[in-house]
Amino acid sequence: MKKIITVFLIVLLSACAGQQRETNKLANQLQLQNPLHVLEQLQLTEPPERDYAQFHLNVGLLQLLSGDFPGSIETLTQAKKEMAVLTATSISENAAAGTVNETLRSYSGYPTDRVMVHNILALSYLFNDDIDGARVEMLQADISMRKLASKKSLEGQLASSHLLAGIIYELLDEQSNALISYKHAEELLTQRKLAIPKSLKKSLLRMSYAVDKNGQYSRYKKRYSGFPTPIKNNNNQVFSLYFDGVVSNKKQNSIMVPSGNGEQLIRIAMPAYPNMNYRITHAKLSDATQQFKTELIENVEVLVREDLSAEYPSILLLTTARAIAKYELVAQADKKDSLFGTLANLVTALTEIADLRSWNMLPSNIQVSYLETKDTELKIDSINAVQQKVALKVGSKNLLLISSLDTPVFHYAQ
Amino acid sequence: MNIKKNMLFIAFATLFLSACSTSVERLDSQKEVDLSGAWNDTDSQLVAREMVEDSLSRAWIGKFVKAEGKDPAVIVGKIRNLSHEHINTNTFIADMERELINSGEVQFVAASGARDEIREERGDQDLNATEETRKEMGQEYGADYMMQGQINTIIDVDGTTQVRFYQVNLELISIKDNRKVWVGQKKIKKLIKNSKLRE
Repeated sequence: MKKIITVFLIVLLSACAGQQRETNKLANQLQLQNPLHVLEQLQLTEPPERDYAQFHLNVGLLQLLSGDFPGSIETLTQAKKEMAVLTATSISENAAAGTVNETLRSYSGYPTDRVMVHNILALSYLFNDDIDGARVEMLQADISMRKLASKKSLEGQLASSHLLAGIIYELLDEQSNALISYKHAEELLTQRKLAIPKSLKKSLLRMSYAVDKNGQYSRYKKRYSGFPTPIKNNNNQVFSLYFDGVVSNKKQNSIMVPSGNGEQLIRIAMPAYPNMNYRITHAKLSDATQQFKTELIENVEVLVREDLSAEYPSILLLTTARAIAKYELVAQADKKDSLFGTLANLVTALTEIADLRSWNMLPSNIQVSYLETKDTELKIDSINAVQQKVALKVGSKNLLLISSLDTPVFHYAQ
Repeated sequence: MNIKKNMLFIAFATLFLSACSTSVERLDSQKEVDLSGAWNDTDSQLVAREMVEDSLSRAWIGKFVKAEGKDPAVIVGKIRNLSHEHINTNTFIADMERELINSGEVQFVAASGARDEIREERGDQDLNATEETRKEMGQEYGADYMMQGQINTIIDVDGTTQVRFYQVNLELISIKDNRKVWVGQKKIKKLIKNSKLRE
């Protein structure tokens, strides 16, 4: 009976690790395959209930990239609710994580996930022609960031969220709100020591000119010189977001060592991210006379590593506590029956796996551009090679979502 | 002894399984039930009732009746959701319409979406209905006032505690000359504490 339970436990836990391996494999395939194809494969998997939030986050993002905006809204709203419920601590899950491994805890989303979900939802609402819904998501993103704000770190603080909020407010002619959001984006980029993209500089100048010509505009004009005065005109306005690449998967760093007395094998497994080696690509937008390149607003690779670093002390503490608990369990089993002791040692070592779950289909980085044009056609080039054309209505305001993956350009116009 | 143990096991198993099954309880639609602290049907009904009561107790209605010799005709326009929640403003508009019609003090005109459908029906009658039953075009009752507004929120957060402040602003605008004849405001404040622990 004991042997059967042992084998059952090994099989059960190896299935959990298998599910994560499958998700990671699909995330890697995204660079080469159409998101719709990856979505179909992902939807065929059957994740355990504790991984639903991660599953829904990935499915929702792929639905957006496949052009299924109502589906994306429904799935990501579900993920948002799941994460909200799971932020509360579960005693039973903590006990399981403390005795078996971290994957037995429900995936409640990292700070980046909890804010980024609003960005993706806002885009889905926008492309579904519901700008008021997108506005709601941006307000919720602000609340999420305020909840996560701390004096010590920039955990869960996304410049891309503030920027997108600014764009949505600007599309709604809420200039004062737009200026505040652009300012927040600028502050965050400064704190992260990232260059301020030209498009954000232009937005700050444009909105401060509209709101406070003689005060704030004068200050921004001194700070960001070389741009023409943003006088209101009838040109087409085009905001663009570029999703570049796919964020890294976590990997497992493990070590198996004999205990001090040489009686047991002790295995330690910790999650880690590989070195950042993604080469950033840019999208190019051109009309008849001008060419614009998208610029970095959010390095998601850095954010996910910050999220893991913030959790690292508690993961390390729990891993150590678990190693001690497992050692004691094996010692007790060994006292009763040496064969059972050996089997228990095998189980405790094999069940020690790192939690590699993350929202691993997010873009590697997010870029932005802004242009004004009299032309009614824009050409867009990105890494996926085929040049795409976007038609613009005269005097229109537009938001484009471009991706380095095999997707069309998504276009919101008003 | 074994029988006793088995019975105990069955009793526990039954209790466990019954706890997992779905349960449904019919509630009075007037009963106040607030699960998440978000904007709900109770808020919608409460705000609609209080704001319509307020609007109909003000001077504009008496002045209109005195000047025109008839009840004013009102239409509910757009209520914008500027809050932090995805609020279905249609239910709020429906609550407003119900309160206005049931007050018996104003005439009520169908909204633009419904009017289009009715016009289509009249167009159809023009071709297909008998002369005695046919309704003519150009006989619509024009509204005197349009009610517009917005739902706003301010949220203050500290960890698992939130204070949600809802402010509904409505105004009644004269369609003839754009005069605002009534401005109403209703505020709701909610304190929401989320548990730090779950099952």
